[in-house]
Amino acid sequence: MTATSTLESQPVASTSSQQSLYEASTQYRHWRFSPKQLVDMRYALNSDAVSAIRNAFENDSPGSSASVAFLSAQEEYLLVKLYVGKVSQLCAHFRFPEEVEATAVTYLKRFYLKNTVMDWHPKNVMLTALFLATKTTNHPISLESYASHIPKTAPSDVLDLEFLVAQSLGFDFAVWHPHRSLWGIWLDIQTLPDVSLGDLQTAYEAATKHVRAARLTDAEFIYTPSQIALACFSLASPTLASAWARAKFPSLPHPPVADVLGSIEAMILREGSPPDVEAVREVDRRLRLCKNPEKIVGSNAYNKKLQEKEKKAEEKRIRKAEAARIAMEEGDPFGNELAKKAVEELDDDDDDD
Amino acid sequence: MDAVEKANAERQRRWSKDQKIGEGTYAVVYRGRELATGRKVAIKKIKVGQFKDGLDMSAIREVKFLRELKHQNVIELLDVFSSKKNLNLVLEFLDTDLELVIKDRSLVFLPADIKSWMAMTFRGLEFCHRNFILHRDLKPNNLLIASDGQLKIADFGLARDFADPGYKMTCQVITRWYRPPELLWGCRYYSTAVDIWSVGCIFAELMLRTPYLPGETDMDQLKTIFRALGTPTETDWPGHTKLPDYVPVGQFPKTPLRELFTAASTDCLNLLSQCLIYDPKRRISAKDALSHPYFFALPYPSHPSKLPKPAKKDVPLEEMDGNVEMASSGPGVKANPPNKLKRKHSSEDLSSRPVARRLDFSK
Ligand SMILES: Nc1ncnc2c1ncn2[C@@H]1O[C@H](COP(=O)(O)OP(=O)(O)OP(=O)(O)O)[C@@H](O)[C@H]1O
Ligand SMILES: [Mg+2]
Repeated sequence: MTATSTLESQPVASTSSQQSLYEASTQYRHWRFSPKQLVDMRYALNSDAVSAIRNAFENDSPGSSASVAFLSAQEEYLLVKLYVGKVSQLCAHFRFPEEVEATAVTYLKRFYLKNTVMDWHPKNVMLTALFLATKTTNHPISLESYASHIPKTAPSDVLDLEFLVAQSLGFDFAVWHPHRSLWGIWLDIQTLPDVSLGDLQTAYEAATKHVRAARLTDAEFIYTPSQIALACFSLASPTLASAWARAKFPSLPHPPVADVLGSIEAMILREGSPPDVEAVREVDRRLRLCKNPEKIVGSNAYNKKLQEKEKKAEEKRIRKAEAARIAMEEGDPFGNELAKKAVEELDDDDDDD
Repeated sequence: MDAVEKANAERQRRWSKDQKIGEGTYAVVYRGRELATGRKVAIKKIKVGQFKDGLDMSAIREVKFLRELKHQNVIELLDVFSSKKNLNLVLEFLDTDLELVIKDRSLVFLPADIKSWMAMTFRGLEFCHRNFILHRDLKPNNLLIASDGQLKIADFGLARDFADPGYKMTCQVITRWYRPPELLWGCRYYSTAVDIWSVGCIFAELMLRTPYLPGETDMDQLKTIFRALGTPTETDWPGHTKLPDYVPVGQFPKTPLRELFTAASTDCLNLLSQCLIYDPKRRISAKDALSHPYFFALPYPSHPSKLPKPAKKDVPLEEMDGNVEMASSGPGVKANPPNKLKRKHSSEDLSSRPVARRLDFSK
């Protein structure tokens, strides 16, 4: 691995031959949005969730949803942001590498582009997202030891949500991170003439803090990792950042990234700090009253839903057994093509588990 | 139903799972179809419930990397969905693999055929390496062959990315016969060169029609390598005696490759020798291999559709079951490659795989 190849793996501009690698990634194809798309998505997700949960309340006991103050999309966002910060605390506790932390944060944020906190509380999802990230970044630890380090957490609490989290991510496990690009920029600047290594080190450390702050924002959904990295460097040292950009794009009078840097920098400064704890506490207090009753283990609504599911599964088992019986009566379980087909059709999954 | 569950159910409905065609240690493989188009696919169902640590690492690696890689010579992952506690990978359907092709004694390989397989292997591997992905389990059994003859690198259950330099990695990778000496001596900071060594072994196997370096144990593997290629000197491979698990394994003279590969062209042996260079730093890269004169000299690589492949025999099932033993007694296998990491020995594949494949021919 050389410095340049790392950098080019997360290119800043389309002039790089490596650009296509990033553009072929699931991150680029599935997880990039305009600011407006993000707002619309969250708004739609939230209003769908509210009406579904309102229904659940009404099913449980008619009229009961009238007094419930559901969370808004903005309030959901605040709560998630609080838990993004908590992922970092957990990672510090476990001494996980930055790769694990950054990946877990991305997973948590992506999860809530597909789910509502009123169904799944981020304090639980966070634990699963982090556990999954240890595996996808190739730093696995045993579930038992993981859970034992977290108060009031059993292995099953982590595992029960793993499938849901993986599904919500669309199984897109690979993530491109700004801290990697930042490291590439840092290596590159070392090779520029007339750079004081002391200044560079100070700038790099400051930029690293900005990269961490950027994790609390929507930057990763809007900009490329290398754009974010350069913006962070530019916040730390505009001089070094522009020296790097000039060296990188010598033929261009106006480096192609310059246009977006300002917006990213503003976003990091505006949104890159943890939410006000009092405000979030209030959101969390209300969440206790507007949680989806169907997701609360042991509640009436939950049990009802469970019973429906079990009834369906039971009916299917009966149909399957019937089909198998018919096949057996024909003498050979696999002789009769029709019966066999019937068995296979019903046999969608539980054949050997 | 939640939006996420709904989306999953929609994905699931795109595919039909037809018939079981094979079984690995952590997965059952079905033949299936894309309902809209009738396209044939393979659905690899991974049982997740059985792992106490949840989704298992092989499955995670396979999904993680195949989601990102799209290349003609890398197996295509078409979709992923879950059902109950199972993870389903929808893969392009592939007729056979290079191990079966090599073992089929009725097939004759022309030099142009070998060149074609090698070119496709290097193309797929160059793409992986360009994406900072090490495969770490290349062997004929993991090079699958599509019906149009295209070779596809498959089985990314041991793959990892290497964009972060200086990370210690496990040396317990790659099936022994294809494992390079640096891993056998416990090197923990390795590179794309480990995959190139494996490709070199496959290259040789294509010419010999039998595994080139079939060691019986890890220690014997080093001996087998040195018996074939000579014991490395400090000039050949500076610093190798400092590797963590270094032990001297005896002095063997270098014999020219020409003595074993009597029919090969000079270009061919030159490329082979560059894949099997001891010093990983000097071993050829996939990119450079692709511009090696071997690929530009006559005979040109065979067109994939013209490559030899096992005949599709229309044999009734019962009869096939009786033939398992015959099918499994492939020549040239001197020992089981013991394999702590992999799900199954490739010698076991011999007894299950041909049957699994041929089940499919009775359609
Ligand atoms: N893409 C595919 N197309 C057609 N058949 C396939 C495909 N993938 C797998 N198979 C069949 O399913 C069998 C099991 O595959 P799987 O990859 O799970 O295990 P394996 O490679 O045989 O062994 P291991 O578990 O050691 O990797 C294969 O031997 C093959 O017969
Ligand atoms: Mg395999």
